[in-house]
Amino acid sequence: MTDPMTDETAPVTEGAMMRATPVRHLAPWLVGLAVMVPLPWVAFNDYQRYLLDLILINVILAVGLNIVKGFAGQVTVGHVALMAIGAYTSAVLTTKFGAPFWFALPGAMLMTAVAGAIVGIPSFRLEGAYLALATLGLAESVRIFISATDYLGASVGYSDIPPPSLFGMPLNSFRSYYFVVMPLAVAGVYFSFCMLRSNIGRAFKALREDPLAAAASGINVRKYKSLAFIVSALYAGCAGSLAAHMSPGFLHPNSYTLVEMVTVLLMVVLGGIGHVWGGIIGAIIVTIIYDLTREYYQYQLLIFGLVIVLTVMFMPTGIGGIIDRYLVNRGFAAIRKARKDAA
Amino acid sequence: MLLEISGFSKHFGGLAAVSNVDLNLEEGEIRGIIGPNGSGKSTLFNLISGVYQPEPGGTMFFDGENVTGLQPHEIARRGIARTFQMLRIFAQMTVLENLLVGHHCHTHYGTPSAIVGRKAVWEEERRVRSEMMDLLAFIGLADYARMPAGELSGGQRRLLALGRAMAMRPKLLMLDEPAAGLSPVNVDKLLDTVMALKERYGLTVIIIEHILKVVMDTCDVVSVLEHGEKIAEGPPAAIKDDHRVIEAYLGKEMDDAEVRAYLRSS
Ligand SMILES: Nc1ncnc2c1ncn2[C@@H]1O[C@H](COP(=O)(O)OP(=O)(O)O)[C@@H](O)[C@H]1O
Ligand SMILES: [Mg+2]
Repeated sequence: MTDPMTDETAPVTEGAMMRATPVRHLAPWLVGLAVMVPLPWVAFNDYQRYLLDLILINVILAVGLNIVKGFAGQVTVGHVALMAIGAYTSAVLTTKFGAPFWFALPGAMLMTAVAGAIVGIPSFRLEGAYLALATLGLAESVRIFISATDYLGASVGYSDIPPPSLFGMPLNSFRSYYFVVMPLAVAGVYFSFCMLRSNIGRAFKALREDPLAAAASGINVRKYKSLAFIVSALYAGCAGSLAAHMSPGFLHPNSYTLVEMVTVLLMVVLGGIGHVWGGIIGAIIVTIIYDLTREYYQYQLLIFGLVIVLTVMFMPTGIGGIIDRYLVNRGFAAIRKARKDAA
Repeated sequence: MLLEISGFSKHFGGLAAVSNVDLNLEEGEIRGIIGPNGSGKSTLFNLISGVYQPEPGGTMFFDGENVTGLQPHEIARRGIARTFQMLRIFAQMTVLENLLVGHHCHTHYGTPSAIVGRKAVWEEERRVRSEMMDLLAFIGLADYARMPAGELSGGQRRLLALGRAMAMRPKLLMLDEPAAGLSPVNVDKLLDTVMALKERYGLTVIIIEHILKVVMDTCDVVSVLEHGEKIAEGPPAAIKDDHRVIEAYLGKEMDDAEVRAYLRSS
């Protein structure tokens, strides 16, 4: 008998799931990219192009939140504050320091990653609702700090944030901005996909389900909690910076309230906690609904909150989870039937 | 000596769950730990695996290295794998993923490579998955690889807990009541699997077990705990006839005939 621990020629059964060559590994992503290129021309008007950009920014945000909340199971309510830090950092870097967008974006992401690491510290000791409260406190203080700081436009807002420019051409239309946002969104989704399919994703899921069993399996729980917070903060910083430089180049602290937080949470919960595609599905659906119901601003929090509660109660794994379960069930229908017959 | 523990103690409030316990294991040994409910067996495992820190005065050497006071993941990395009395399998992850989590420490690729999805990463993933499939086949769960672990039956969960520990490629395997709640046939099957794994990988094993017969049949040396103290240690045959042990285990005095009857029946 060969040794399963060392034998490399063992038949690849489950392993066949992993794509075998670089071409097959990257092909779906390149196809996806190609499909997305003509979308701004498919859109009928500027409003739809604006919505398209917004959806993609929210996809980045939600995919990031799904990493820390969905996969690593850390109940953070501070994500929009991280987005705010990214947005304002990017705005300050371009307007006050004259940095081009292409430097401001990574700068904002770096700044947000540091903030994310700080937001993650309470998670070493707190769980669930307590962690939610701690992160909410941090988030609100960021928003209040912005509202009270004249340098950041205080409650008047921060205006005249320049659009990115490429070879001297400002990318200020929603169509041209799409080609800044879209590749970043695709790359972000790709990176999250790779990460969550690797041992990092499994470590996140393990510490979500049972930190003690994860540690006993050799997983450094603090390291992976921090990693989840930092990586998701990088996404939030990227989304924040993109939101800042999108026309009309205006930021206001009211864009980072509890309503926005609940909205982002809803994207992840509805799309499917801990499901790689969940954040994307959720971001698309929720952004559209959010924008269509803008007129009923006063009811949004109520409705979105209700939908979260209902989803958690009746569809805890979200849309992605239902798809997952369908696929799994299909695979195991035979075994279950045999069991039922035996019983 | 593979494992040298001296003076391990742990109190919960005023209760001495483990007090001043020494434990020395030779490489390749199968050690049984018995004792009545609440005698500190699981607490001792928690001390060894780093879940609890031993109180001052306790030391632990593993493979010649002082590992006293290390974190659970650091202990695990050094080759000590354990199962939990309540199993603690990852119910929402698939059976295969549970094993892959166990394999975590042996990953070669780094975090940045994983994030950008380098070729080396998915080649290694592919290889490791097939290794874990072989391990699943060995413990008899290959058909369930892609099923959520929460859907397994009780006996299968026990096998999975064992498999996850084995995926860590440990030098020392610690099993906390691995056969609890199994039917006699399944107990034998599980023990056969443990023995097969031990032979195959040259493991050292510690088994906490409630079913006396299991300990007596499988272990080289048995340590007996009562009220957190180690009251006896020796080969099963000697332990079997030690009146202190039998009394501690059964919680009352018995005459010889009663004791023999009990040992036969259990
Ligand atoms: N986390 C804990 N907090 C308080 N008391 C505990 C804890 N864990 C175990 N104990 C107590 O310590 C004693 C030993 O428990 P344990 O090690 O689980 O025994 P065993 O595994 O031998 O049945 C018991 O009296 C138990 O109630
Ligand atoms: Mg116990």
